Amino acid sequence: MKDYRNFLKEYDGPPIRIMEVCGTHTASIAHSGIVSLISSKIQLISGPGCPVCVTVTEYIDRLITLSLTPDMVVVTFGDMIRVSGSRQSLQDVRSEGGQVRMVYSPLDMISLALAEPGKTFVFAAIGFETTTAVYAALMDGIVHAGIANIRILTSLKTMPRVIEWVCSMQGGIDGFLAPGHVSVITGSDLFVPLAEKYHVPFAVAGFEGEQILIALYALVKMISHGEGKVMNLYPSAVTAGGNKTAQRMIETYFEPCDAAWRGMGIIPDSGMMLRSEYLKYDAGSRDLFSDHSHHPACLCAKVITGAQKPQECPLFGTLCTPDKPQGACMVSTEGSCYSYFANRRNA
Amino acid sequence: MPGKVISVHGRIAVVDFAGNRMNAEAGLVAVKPGDSVLVHAGCILQVLPEEEANILADLFAELEDL
Amino acid sequence: MAHGSGGKATTELISSIFARYFDNPILAKMEDAAVVPGAARLAVTTDSFVVTPLFFAGGDIGKLAVCGTVNDLAMSGATPMYLTCGFILEEGVEVADLERIVFSMAETAKVAGVLIVAGDTKVIEGKGGLYINTAGVGFLPEGDFEVSSSFCGDGDVILLSGTLGDHHATVLSARMGIENTIKSDCAPLHGMVSALLKENIRVRAMRDVTRGGLATVLHEFAVASGKCLQIQEDQIPVTAQVQGLCGILGLDPLYMANEGKMVAVVAKEDAPRALECIRNSPYGQDAAIIGEVVSGDEGTLLLHTRTGGIRMLTELYGEGLPRIC
Repeated sequence: MKDYRNFLKEYDGPPIRIMEVCGTHTASIAHSGIVSLISSKIQLISGPGCPVCVTVTEYIDRLITLSLTPDMVVVTFGDMIRVSGSRQSLQDVRSEGGQVRMVYSPLDMISLALAEPGKTFVFAAIGFETTTAVYAALMDGIVHAGIANIRILTSLKTMPRVIEWVCSMQGGIDGFLAPGHVSVITGSDLFVPLAEKYHVPFAVAGFEGEQILIALYALVKMISHGEGKVMNLYPSAVTAGGNKTAQRMIETYFEPCDAAWRGMGIIPDSGMMLRSEYLKYDAGSRDLFSDHSHHPACLCAKVITGAQKPQECPLFGTLCTPDKPQGACMVSTEGSCYSYFANRRNA
Repeated sequence: MPGKVISVHGRIAVVDFAGNRMNAEAGLVAVKPGDSVLVHAGCILQVLPEEEANILADLFAELEDL
Repeated sequence: MAHGSGGKATTELISSIFARYFDNPILAKMEDAAVVPGAARLAVTTDSFVVTPLFFAGGDIGKLAVCGTVNDLAMSGATPMYLTCGFILEEGVEVADLERIVFSMAETAKVAGVLIVAGDTKVIEGKGGLYINTAGVGFLPEGDFEVSSSFCGDGDVILLSGTLGDHHATVLSARMGIENTIKSDCAPLHGMVSALLKENIRVRAMRDVTRGGLATVLHEFAVASGKCLQIQEDQIPVTAQVQGLCGILGLDPLYMANEGKMVAVVAKEDAPRALECIRNSPYGQDAAIIGEVVSGDEGTLLLHTRTGGIRMLTELYGEGLPRIC
């Protein structure tokens, strides 16, 4: 194989901006120290790929209200607990008697619900296409077992529209590191229309340091040669068409809808929610659009779209740190600001 | 990291990750004991090939042609 | 206090358990205070323990309470001598559980060579919770022996006494119902420290690796000394099982808690002997040299990653919650 490491380190062409749109990629890049291995002319930007980071305050507020409702329990992934709604987080409300539990998998809901039939369990269903597939499997399990005491509150997002939104902004992104696990479900073909429309390359990458370097190499090469196409550099897990069973299951239970992205506004058709025939399992997800980010000076929206860097936010490192996060970019360990703070990424 | 399927019981598979055993949903992909699998939030997303064959060689060749 | 064990709710019951297992001439006197021989310079420390579950693979809250305080004393170069222990018991605690914990403390104290010379118990309303505070006193050697995180200097070598994350992984696995054979590494490290000092290893700084993990400790060393500490990811021992658990839950072993591991920064020339010393001590079989101290990049901790890159490490923020998605 060609010496891609040398190529990336020595690159001296025009400055390039590459965006990753997957929280797990943000974490892997920091973990492997990728930035130290590439030329400073290749700039890596963390895009809106962290589901916790793009959840609007009204969604959190609704979860808080549910957690304080008698005989209701809110169940969530770990990172969600610390994100602030308009006033407080789920962690804060716990000390006021809010019923909140953390799980590793949404499928754990089933045993929770069966163990306590007198309570209604509401899952904070956030995520992109990958996790939506897991929620579809959960819905399938609930429906087939006839379980009545589970609900989900959805804030599900999809990739294509938000990537389009980024492309249509003035950010000037030259190429995208396409999300690995989303692509396992959707197939790498998901990005072909975008690559063609905006004439910008996509490289689907795995999560090991080496896999990311290989994908960056492919992107720089494609960018340098004006190639606007999709390359799958994670062929062991990703196919062009994706996981059809998962796609069918998602379609059975969910349908596209408009979605609000924290600090970015409403992007039409960029989300998913339960189909009308399954709305009895929904905990009030429709039109949760209000976004009152805690601090007016919070620049999360600009950071997430690559318009500004974490350190350019006036709150970064002073009013906003991982211990006292203002915006969601700092709460999640996959958020750009957290990653930058904790690992001093040279953005 | 990939896990190894130990057993399958209907829609639940027992998956081993370097000695850690947990249950995972097996409804999205057909799996059998011995399969190497990709798991996300307690759900199997994909079966992975046993060997990391030199699938990338062709892709690299394509890039060299650019 | 007892739940279906038939035992009477009383101080009598509790003190009979303590008296039986912590038996020593000082405690037996049952005075208001223990009067004990001292030394010119003393190390004093205290810590409280609130872990759940109370019992886990490799240990229990009692063993933790003894080792935690013993290790804090040992890390200052002191020989641990005396411990006090205070219990706060919520109603509903099983007498049998209390007895197991007290027995465990007594056994661990014996291994650690400390006497438990004073104690207290309070029973409060609640649902069976159990909390322990231990305070410890140790004797420092004569002379002006001192270790300090600020003493790290150019060329010094960084040693780690064994695998990372075992205790944290054990408690998390128990809470999340993940099956594995990971065990807490809860252990007293006084023997390891005294072996190093006996060998006249020039130890600049040493610390046990507890909450916040290795990265937090080494970051403190870097800031206190104004030096740059550099460590190699592929030299840091982590068991395959712990690594596997980290992969599932999205955790980083560098930030996970241990209860029986230490890190020592020693003079370069003494490093090979120091490694030998630790490896031959109980609990040190997996010890490794993991890095060195250099100048430049003041007050920073750098990790050379497996991929060959460099990652700057800070202290732990937040609680290290498992990642999602």
